[in-house]
Amino acid sequence: MSYEPPITDYDEIVENCTCAFCGCNCDDLDYLVKDGHVVAVRHACRLGASKIMEDLDQRLVVPMIRGDDGELEEVDWDTALDKAAEYIANSVRPVFYGWSETSTECMKEGLDLGQYIGAVLDNQATICHGPSLQAVQNAGYPIQTLGEVKNRADMIVYSGSNAMNSHPRHMARYSVFPRGYFRQRGRFDRTVVTMDPKFSDTAKMSDKWIGFEQNGDYGFYNAIRAVIKGKKLTQEVISGIPREDIYELVDEMKHAEFGVLFFGLGLTHTLSKQRNIDIAIKMVMDLNKESKWGLTPMRGHFNVNGFNIFMAFETGFAFGVDFCRGYARYMLGETNTIDLLVRKEPDVFLVIAADPGAHFPNGANQHLAHIPVIQIDIHWGPSTELADVVLPGSFIGVECAGTSYRMDGVPIYMKKAIDKPETCRDDEWIVREIKERVMKLREEPNVAPKYIPNPAAE
Amino acid sequence: MEYILKNGIVYDPANEVNGEKKDVYFKDGKIVEDVSSAAKVIDVTDKIVMPAGVDTHAHIAGPKLVLGRLYRPEDSRRGVTQKTKVERGESGFSIPSCPTTGYRYSRMGYGTVCEAAMPPLEAKHTHEEIGIIPNIDVNPLTLFGNNWIVMELAKEGDIDGLAAFISAWLKITKGYGVKIVNPCGSEAWGWGMNVHGYNDSAPYFDVSSKEVVRALAKANEKLGLPHSIHIHPNDLGHPGNTPTTLETLDSLKDIVKSTKKSASVRDQTVHCCHMHFHSYSGTNWRNAGSGAPEVAKFMNHCKYATGDVGQVTFDETTTMTADAPMEYDLYRLSGLKWVNADIECETAAGIIPCIYSKKAPVSALQWGIGMELFLLIDNPWQINLTTDHPNAGPFTRYPRIISWLMSAPKRNQMIESHEIHKWAEKRTMVASIDREYDFYDIATITRAANAKIHGFHDRGNLSVGSNADIAVYDINPNDFDPSKNPDAVERAFSRAKYTIKDGQIMVKDGEIVSTKPSHVIWSNVKGMEEQEKDIIDKVMPFFKQYYSVKWENYKVHDHFLSNPIRVDVE
Amino acid sequence: MHYANTYLSKPVVGDLDESYSEDQKGTTKVLHCMLNTGSDIYQGACKKRGSTLKEEYKNASGTCYMDPRDMVELGVKNWDTVLVKTDYGEVVVNAAKSRDAPHKGTVFICKGPWANTIVSHETYCCSDPTYKGIQCTVEKTDRKVLLMADLMRLVYKKYVDETDDEVIENMESLGERPVYRGRKWEELDEL
Repeated sequence: MSYEPPITDYDEIVENCTCAFCGCNCDDLDYLVKDGHVVAVRHACRLGASKIMEDLDQRLVVPMIRGDDGELEEVDWDTALDKAAEYIANSVRPVFYGWSETSTECMKEGLDLGQYIGAVLDNQATICHGPSLQAVQNAGYPIQTLGEVKNRADMIVYSGSNAMNSHPRHMARYSVFPRGYFRQRGRFDRTVVTMDPKFSDTAKMSDKWIGFEQNGDYGFYNAIRAVIKGKKLTQEVISGIPREDIYELVDEMKHAEFGVLFFGLGLTHTLSKQRNIDIAIKMVMDLNKESKWGLTPMRGHFNVNGFNIFMAFETGFAFGVDFCRGYARYMLGETNTIDLLVRKEPDVFLVIAADPGAHFPNGANQHLAHIPVIQIDIHWGPSTELADVVLPGSFIGVECAGTSYRMDGVPIYMKKAIDKPETCRDDEWIVREIKERVMKLREEPNVAPKYIPNPAAE
Repeated sequence: MEYILKNGIVYDPANEVNGEKKDVYFKDGKIVEDVSSAAKVIDVTDKIVMPAGVDTHAHIAGPKLVLGRLYRPEDSRRGVTQKTKVERGESGFSIPSCPTTGYRYSRMGYGTVCEAAMPPLEAKHTHEEIGIIPNIDVNPLTLFGNNWIVMELAKEGDIDGLAAFISAWLKITKGYGVKIVNPCGSEAWGWGMNVHGYNDSAPYFDVSSKEVVRALAKANEKLGLPHSIHIHPNDLGHPGNTPTTLETLDSLKDIVKSTKKSASVRDQTVHCCHMHFHSYSGTNWRNAGSGAPEVAKFMNHCKYATGDVGQVTFDETTTMTADAPMEYDLYRLSGLKWVNADIECETAAGIIPCIYSKKAPVSALQWGIGMELFLLIDNPWQINLTTDHPNAGPFTRYPRIISWLMSAPKRNQMIESHEIHKWAEKRTMVASIDREYDFYDIATITRAANAKIHGFHDRGNLSVGSNADIAVYDINPNDFDPSKNPDAVERAFSRAKYTIKDGQIMVKDGEIVSTKPSHVIWSNVKGMEEQEKDIIDKVMPFFKQYYSVKWENYKVHDHFLSNPIRVDVE
Repeated sequence: MHYANTYLSKPVVGDLDESYSEDQKGTTKVLHCMLNTGSDIYQGACKKRGSTLKEEYKNASGTCYMDPRDMVELGVKNWDTVLVKTDYGEVVVNAAKSRDAPHKGTVFICKGPWANTIVSHETYCCSDPTYKGIQCTVEKTDRKVLLMADLMRLVYKKYVDETDDEVIENMESLGERPVYRGRKWEELDEL
């Protein structure tokens, strides 16, 4: 990339906008706006800037339906919505997947529709931090807000997370570099440790890199726990790490005044999956006997946490909620998108603000080639190549306001800065329209005739 | 639409109506003197009619609740029901989902619930949940007790500044009143510590719990908020904490109640929540005993304090509080899965599942202490029925607690049959107390006193002009002995014959027949704009440097408010 | 109108060290490796920019980052193409020197349609597929890395009648612009 001079030709600056990329939800972006378009953005990282300075070539601007010849064709909104509603109304096992890049206001409409028709609602947690949620359900969840990290933390550990690449401002804005109330010297007051088999960009910024072996995470955390509890290690090398290094690390962790573990998909995507997180959580709990420790999962999308929170307060379950029996069911590995697709259960797939084409394994996506796929998104992406109905949404935090939840659970109202393209619609409106059309097509909802109390709750 | 609720037996303690057979009229959501002949008649002959219930203290919406639901699917599964044409489908036992919360309160004849702890930074979340809870109105209390700015202002003794800060932050968070949880203790938890006693202070903050509480009480009265300070004192759940509790209440005896009209409904200057958790004697759990007689004695001589009990109900529940160090202590005791959630510059929170077993000595003792508080505090206007939902038990157990209060034989049978552990007998005096509540008392501790304590004039009573929030229970009090029929009492209060909210029939024969969106009730202090601006300017450099969100994105936008009821304070 | 530009045709990668002796080069035909997938900043940026049809995405996501010693053994240079095979499928991707090297015996492909073709869909009953730590083989190839749309057509065949992989792979490319009948953004006044 060659040097680009700063943009100086703009009409106004819209301040304090919220970045709709990763779970950092940086809410300090300034958009430079000219003629109703964002022409440049300040304070954003490379990722945030690239999302806001989107590729207009691939912006979805008109509703489309796949024709008989296999090519997508522009249609009017009514036709596209009717088609989508028809698919859903005639389905027996619809799955509504995505939601992590839209607002909770939109999720509400989706949930109404899902409950009405008896669908499965699931989000990207199913392919990222699902195991973390499972571990949380086993072990607990000692967390803190990111400002707390900024103000207090003197030891930061990144495990299986390459923050410099996936959450580029995390270290700068919240954890490592900022000057906090009790950490006035910023970076110099903190010890940073990265645990990752790769010498990642985050490891390069750290004081210490612990490059345990691939799939060695579980053994490594067990060793740490043993040492915290005062045990001696008999093996000289554990998961590729010499035991002296483990002793030294544990000593540092115990003597931290306020430590935080940030963990990412490095732990959830390997073979031990939720057991890795389980043991990491227990390690943090053990450390609390010695000093103060917390953790935070590095959530990938700006509202992936929001969907989990939203579903939990609406239905009691975080993700993968199945309404096909008229009540909320949640069983990991059973009511989750990947498992459903691999078992070839769904007969209609609605994908909103997500891209299974880009992120699901081949073995799951193959089923999408055999069923109708409805896509609501802002860009033409891999999923568009599998979609039968395409509905162009609008860009939350730029063209449309909405609520999102940061990785640490702090809610942020993402404001609107410019108008959306005339032919696009807000996600919330699209889902509501589909819902109302489905309700007309299928007048009998998937409900019980009468309230039957649950004796277990009496 | 006009209605006549005909021939009910009315209990309306606010108007000193004690079991009179009379009609209640309402029109367009309000109680009226009379209605036209076109009014619809609802026949409730010889059934109990009360104002709809008001819950003084519960945790029903917000970040803590959601963490509980996220990490306890086993609890959510306990209460799952199918969706119907009226209901959205329920889930949960101790931490029900938002829709479930509304339905279940409605079925018990409740109309208003106080959400007792709202952290300012995450207030939007609390409001978002309130918007989803149907059928009940919610007044959230904003957490102030461990706020760094509050602690600094209290240290400086700047009561005017503190009043302006409260006024500004209630507007920002759309809160109703001032909640204080383990003052200074939750801040100490930032370093994994706690404060010990009322005169201790948090590391780096040279201000004691006592100074913070007194300053907040003074500021609260200066503003004349409808509710007094709402305090969860230090040392919750620790054996031997009674002196801390009494010291806390005693330290507020010289606080002069505001003379403003907005503060005129209430009598108290301090409300102490879930008192049973603060009334333990002894030095450890082996020799723990009841401090309830002492606390009751204090309350019986005290005119400026009210409390609610937080009665243990012998259930598997989920404890959650902003008193995070206490939750960590519980984790060390039980080893169950533990959640902690610290919030920058403001507060902390902890969650842990808890099993109150009838066979467990401590649970039995806790049950007895709660009962003692109910039975030894003479004036029902001073003590409210709560379970500190979900901490000591879910709110759906209120009817069972009512049945215990109305029946000494029931209580004695539980103790004598050794249905519950002998500590209830040996270490408390419940077995020796004959006092039984009557329906008038029950109406007081579940409605009238609760509304008065919160400073509501438009609910908790059946006065003309009040909201038509009414509950009807299927009991004929003239032909019924609650002392002998505790199970029937529990059944009747669990499933209201009718629940009417703002004139709309929500429940009929114990079933939800309609739903309506909730209202959120918040306090708007007027005439402090100058001072608010000054204090905001003063704290702005701090805010910019040490919070992790921008000022513009900190406040609760109007978008999040569900049908707000604004209480103006002049 | 002048927009700030975020397009980057290829990720920046390090040069290969040329000091290896000739007899080390190309000594291995098939390399047995551990495959990791995940995100990096280049892939994340163009995914969210929405430039997924373009060269940019192909080069960010369809690239196998390797240890330089492995590259020497296999006899590949930066931006040569390699065929990566696992139990779950095979895909042609670019080879490039990893920024995180050394990690001999491990290769990294950013998440995206290319990686999806070869990762494991096994969740072991916990919702999440196994995206990391998969056994794979890497070999040199002359085949081209397909653009996203072409790859989706080849792998999922949702809208082609043809079933022969080789024929589909060599069909005319769908290109770097959306293919559909209807108005494009340039034609819309408001855009």
